[in-house]
Amino acid sequence: MINEGKKRIWKDYQKEIADDRYFYVRSCIRQNFFPASEKAFLRIMQEELKKDVFENAAHTTCSGIGYHSDVVPFDTTMTVIARQFSLMTESGNENLVTSCITSFGLYNEVLETWKHFPDVLKKVRGYLKTATGREFEIPKNVAHASDVIFRFRKEISAIGVNRLVHHETGRPLKVVEHIGCHYSKMFPSKGVGGAEYPYVLVGMVEEWGGEVIDYPERRHCCGFGFRQYLVRANRGYSLANSKKKFESMKPYKPDFILTNCPGCPMFLDRWQYTLSEMEGVTYGENGRGIPVLTYEELAGLILGYDPWDLGLQVHQVPVEPLLDKMGIQYDTSRKFLGKDGQDLGRPDAPSVLKFF
Amino acid sequence: MDRLYDMLSADVRFKEGLKACLHCGTCTAICPAAEFYNYQPRKIVEILQTKNEEEIEALLKGDMIWYCGECMSCVTRCPRGNAPGLLITVLRGLSQDLGYFTESEKGRQQLAIKRTVGEWILEYGYCMFPSEVRPEAHPEQGPVWKWEVEHIEEVMERLGANYAKTGPGILRKVPDEDLQELKKIFDVTGGTRRFEKIEACSRQKAEEMGMELTDSLDSEYVHHIYTTNDPKHTAAE
Amino acid sequence: MAKTVVIVGGGVAGMTAASRLADLGEKVLLLEREEEIGGHLRNWDRLFPNRRPGSEVLHDLKETLGNRVEIRCNESPGEIHSLQSSFIVELESGEKITCDAVLMATGFDLFDARRKEEYGYGIYDNVITSADLERMLRSGSPVTTSAGKAPSRVGFVHCVGSRDEKAGNLYCSKVCCVTGVKQAIEIKEHLPGSEVFGFYMDLRMYDRHFEEMYYEAQQKWEINFLRGRVSECAENEDQSIVLKIEDTLTSRPLKMTVDLLVLLVGFVQKPETVRIAKLLGISIGEDRFLECLDEHTRFNYTGKPGIFVAGTSRGPLTIANTIADAGEAALQIHNYLKTLK
Repeated sequence: MINEGKKRIWKDYQKEIADDRYFYVRSCIRQNFFPASEKAFLRIMQEELKKDVFENAAHTTCSGIGYHSDVVPFDTTMTVIARQFSLMTESGNENLVTSCITSFGLYNEVLETWKHFPDVLKKVRGYLKTATGREFEIPKNVAHASDVIFRFRKEISAIGVNRLVHHETGRPLKVVEHIGCHYSKMFPSKGVGGAEYPYVLVGMVEEWGGEVIDYPERRHCCGFGFRQYLVRANRGYSLANSKKKFESMKPYKPDFILTNCPGCPMFLDRWQYTLSEMEGVTYGENGRGIPVLTYEELAGLILGYDPWDLGLQVHQVPVEPLLDKMGIQYDTSRKFLGKDGQDLGRPDAPSVLKFF
Repeated sequence: MDRLYDMLSADVRFKEGLKACLHCGTCTAICPAAEFYNYQPRKIVEILQTKNEEEIEALLKGDMIWYCGECMSCVTRCPRGNAPGLLITVLRGLSQDLGYFTESEKGRQQLAIKRTVGEWILEYGYCMFPSEVRPEAHPEQGPVWKWEVEHIEEVMERLGANYAKTGPGILRKVPDEDLQELKKIFDVTGGTRRFEKIEACSRQKAEEMGMELTDSLDSEYVHHIYTTNDPKHTAAE
Repeated sequence: MAKTVVIVGGGVAGMTAASRLADLGEKVLLLEREEEIGGHLRNWDRLFPNRRPGSEVLHDLKETLGNRVEIRCNESPGEIHSLQSSFIVELESGEKITCDAVLMATGFDLFDARRKEEYGYGIYDNVITSADLERMLRSGSPVTTSAGKAPSRVGFVHCVGSRDEKAGNLYCSKVCCVTGVKQAIEIKEHLPGSEVFGFYMDLRMYDRHFEEMYYEAQQKWEINFLRGRVSECAENEDQSIVLKIEDTLTSRPLKMTVDLLVLLVGFVQKPETVRIAKLLGISIGEDRFLECLDEHTRFNYTGKPGIFVAGTSRGPLTIANTIADAGEAALQIHNYLKTLK
């Protein structure tokens, strides 16, 4: 494989990412399943990088999951999004940063629709006015939170205390980077690196000392599929997609998987557990799974945050093997405690997947 | 009633998504749904291009349009700039708005989604909420999730959330006036109308099928649509 | 006073036009930016439809041209100024040449296959282009994978960079299908034990002998033709290439591994031609090829008197087409020059 070829492609897909004064809109899935990641993002942006990130408590879901499972009509979704923009305008912000990848794709889709079909924009302005009395401006910049972390990866590296290398041997850790489909598949120019060789996570990994591995199913969807997961009868689709990826990446022995979409790490984490229960198969070494990280968690680890502050305890596939490789200290006795040290018991161990 | 094709083309996403398919197959080659289901997105575009009223009606009443996972991998590749994934959202929308969706096994599932994600949007301001992802109904979420849900407030506090409380933060309580704005948006833009249509058609179908359908997620019809999966969808042909 | 024609480009079109103009007694200056004349023809091994050596045709064209015209290699027009009924061509070297007519014979570039990112050219070692393969065949060395082994399965991808909105080229490049079939046969000749696949959208076997070649490919050589456009390539651990495609005739999406994948790249316009065209004020189509006055009856005329076009700078053409085209252009230039005082 010739890496220079990929670098040439990355150069072609540069996009503008705002550098401050962000309006942050949260992700339904991220908040539910890896909430500490959003906490980490804000901590990094506000405390470490001293950036202005504003959250309006009045904001809601963009309705993306409802839209992509087709219970919410396009007009409704566009108007909900218009309301989000109205909150932005109200607070004098121009730079939108989304926590969710589906949102990111949807905001781009809606903005492109309004660009090509001004009548639709007019209609939506009318809807929003009638429903809420609100008006809005189009944001100047729309970025995903992973774009922002990518943008500041060097700054994070400079103040970081950990690297993506094996702390004993010094070998770069091997990373599978998994990009959410809605990041750039629909609008390749809106993703750093385009759709075929997205660079947003590769850039982080390389900056922080790791090595990205390529494998045949790299671009394959994790299988969320919206309705394909939400309805139990369809869930086999979702599982099969993730399984396809695991089978493809296994021979390359990744040390962990890095993702930028809120849904993907949840699926790649849970489906490893499910496959171990259903088929007795595990994809990591010695009966373990391959740890799955969000980019916020990874940035937090680089910066030396406590793994349990980062929420790694709520991963079904234990992250401890990775922490051990990186030489990161953690207190197992505190893993499942509450904020004030309350004993909350422990989850049951799965029957196959090695648990800690 | 207008011709189905005309109703479809009134949607701007239809215009964006259908621009003279030449049946090269790049969409189907890359489609995850085509890998696992007896399905080719190309077939859908083929049918739409004929503009044939009967075929399109069959499409709206059949399972075929419900296999797609809306990953948009097809959009990346099409050499003519078509977007089968977009066309599917338009077809699914029309299928529900006309009440055709209850004619197919996969289409009938929309009620389950409306009563979960759909209603959660209006109730919480989020598409999902931890107390709604019940471990009994989601064994695949695993024992850690189960433990989490059992101690949700403490765990959320530990993870830095502002769980169900006022003010900004993770999983905050979205203020009622904002939820009301959301509801008004749904009312004005046809969202409520679609929700009602999904309910009404499903009730009718449940009656036809001789199953009980109450407001609860635990009723017979909901359980049936939530779990029924005909092997034909994935069987070797 | 003897009239001068400056021909920009010393490939098939330029050489042919120069010869014909010399036949008609006109004075010609042939400018070629490379070190030698011949254009792309220098790179081809055997030409369709009869698989004769390209070097024979090049030799023929050079012989015919002889020393009858002035040829300047490593030379290129920097600026061209249009006067009342003549032109001043300013060479990059600085020299200024006055002439009475200009013939654009600048030819084509091959589509840069790296732009079709999902195929992995320039990233995966065993993805090569048809031009790379011609070079391999011309050199006489065996066709091998990057590891130096004989490939047991070779795939040919049609329409690379053509008929593709994503690549920025909606047009068909005309010659790639027959090239693909020709090269598929050549692989089988070199490696009789190999399995060869052609992945096509349409097989454009439009000219004399082409369809028979397709028949031979199937009948005699057992080459497999699969109707589907390759959607994506990836690399296996052993550097073989796994590709995803739909067999659209049986509606079956499939994955297939090949040892060597050949991308049939199409024509694109040279950026340099676009630059000169803008200088001269001649029209460029949306496909970036040079526009002519009439597609049927005035295809060597541009919108500007005294400026003519021949060869692939005005669209995809075969070598034989180009020779015919350049001959017609020479005659039209000759007639034009007669109208000047």
